[in-house]
Amino acid sequence: MSERMDFARFEALVAAYGATPSRWPEEERAAAQAFARTDPRAEAVLKEADTIDDLLFAHRVAEPSRTLRAMVLESAPRRRRIVGRVRLWWSSIAFGIAAAGGVLAGSAAMAALEPVTANVQLYQHDDLTTFEDTSEENAQ
Amino acid sequence: MNSDDPDGDLVRRVGEGDPQAVEALVARKLPRMTALAQRLLGDRAEAEDVVQELFLRVWKSAAAWRPGAARFDTWMHRVAYNLCTDRLRKRREVALPETWDAPDPQPLVDSEISARQQSDAVGRALADLAPRQREAIVLTYYQELPNREAAALMGIGVDALESLLARGRRALKARLEECHE
Repeated sequence: MSERMDFARFEALVAAYGATPSRWPEEERAAAQAFARTDPRAEAVLKEADTIDDLLFAHRVAEPSRTLRAMVLESAPRRRRIVGRVRLWWSSIAFGIAAAGGVLAGSAAMAALEPVTANVQLYQHDDLTTFEDTSEENAQ
Repeated sequence: MNSDDPDGDLVRRVGEGDPQAVEALVARKLPRMTALAQRLLGDRAEAEDVVQELFLRVWKSAAAWRPGAARFDTWMHRVAYNLCTDRLRKRREVALPETWDAPDPQPLVDSEISARQQSDAVGRALADLAPRQREAIVLTYYQELPNREAAALMGIGVDALESLLARGRRALKARLEECHE
């Protein structure tokens, strides 16, 4: 429930916030609007404020440039980089073993990389080393 | 999720590294924060520096952001405002070149003023205002912050804010009338 407003407060409110009711403080808006409707002195006050509002709103700021937008986006951390590092780590292991154990072991290792989170065990068998996917055995 | 904060869910997703949320937050906030910084500083290049720094802080804080009493937009305004006032403080400590943001003494004829020229004239008048008056006007008029939020950002009460607004508006009008005489 809003209280009645007097001229002094109406004048001060409009001098501060301008002539547009949506810009008046919420708790005083209804009282100020009622005052504006009923008091003949309100019109002159609002007219004066309106000219200043028009001046203020004439000021435009250019939209951010594409360069600025790109730089801001580029500065954001990316979740995918972490996944990329995990894949790179597995790739390094696989290629290292392929180099030590031959092409067959390397192919098996690469096949075992998809998906990245697959459970794998390393078996040492004579002169061959291989990855085996144990995800079915270890399924929870 | 804080239903009172329109940015809450977006910020949470940014904190989780969602690239679409990052793009959406930039689309939503970059124009608003660029306008704030440019109007406070009166210099586009400096404003862009501030905005870049602001978003670096957003990325650092997003993962830890917890909905609470303050809205995310309020937090961004606080950081941007502090970054701008730090720069303004440093300017006052350093001698400025004479041509810095100098007002154009060329009188303008109303009927011939283009929208661009009028915008430039108002921009110069804003830059000429006392800093606290300019801050009050930028935060309430252009950023449309509620008066309590704007006053809290500036570290003053609402009465003091209203006094700055009224004086700033009168000074702006007087300055522009001088240019037209």
